[in-house]
Amino acid sequence: MLNTQNVLTILSMALVTYLTRVLGYWALRNRTLSARATTVLEAVPGCVLICVIAPAFTSPRPANLIALAVTILAATRLSILPTVAVGVGSAALLRHFMG
Amino acid sequence: MMCGLNFAGGSEFVAIELWRTPPVLLLIAGMTFLINSRHLLMGAAITPHIRNLSTRKALLALFFMVDETWAFGLEDARSRDDAQGKGQLSLPFYFGLAAGLYVTWVASTAIGTVIGPRIGNPDAIGFDMAFPAVFLVLIKGLWKGYKAAIPWLVSLVVACVIHLSVPGTWYVAGGTLSGLLTAYLLSGREEC
Repeated sequence: MLNTQNVLTILSMALVTYLTRVLGYWALRNRTLSARATTVLEAVPGCVLICVIAPAFTSPRPANLIALAVTILAATRLSILPTVAVGVGSAALLRHFMG
Repeated sequence: MMCGLNFAGGSEFVAIELWRTPPVLLLIAGMTFLINSRHLLMGAAITPHIRNLSTRKALLALFFMVDETWAFGLEDARSRDDAQGKGQLSLPFYFGLAAGLYVTWVASTAIGTVIGPRIGNPDAIGFDMAFPAVFLVLIKGLWKGYKAAIPWLVSLVVACVIHLSVPGTWYVAGGTLSGLLTAYLLSGREEC
């Protein structure tokens, strides 16, 4: 598991993350961002998150798509642990009965 | 190991989704930067409250800056605001928070590594759906109305198209950039 490439990737993640924490302090401490820059920066996390789960939306299995719809509905109403439970449970049931 | 050094959950989830053998280092590092770029804004916001710290202490404190320590620390500092609004961050308070979070973080990961292999076939029990579920709740936490969500929708559609047509994990980078472009163009139109 611990080969050089994996270690390097984790180290570069750590470095980059720390960079985001320190850069804001260094670079932005004496100025205010334009409204436009703030809007774009605020959109970043949502765009990344939704892209990462995009493959779930392209699944060819109907059971997966229905389970995903159920999970989305759950996410709008419940907190994180119940949502995970609903998502996992619905996926297991639907796959069992629909294949 | 990833958790101890990186200490930023969102980007770790993303990294696991994107992990291939061997991992595409540049893509993962790039996405890590994008996800954690909110720290840029957070760091800028907290700066007035840590002005009295030495640079060394400030840099150490910033390693432990996550959503939770940032929010609570800032609130605590603001409660001591003077006329100029420069209430200072309480280091014992901040590092107490950080230590609690950090230990829980690393300890739960260790437990997961021990239990993980014994769970059996994750597909049959729908375990992979836990991932979209976590992400959807995170996205809901970022929800600021339908207009702010337009870039997300663009991102999703573009990412789906790229995922179906291009092999590999480029859909994340492509989808994200198109979403950001949308946000940029939309905010430009408002100002005119």
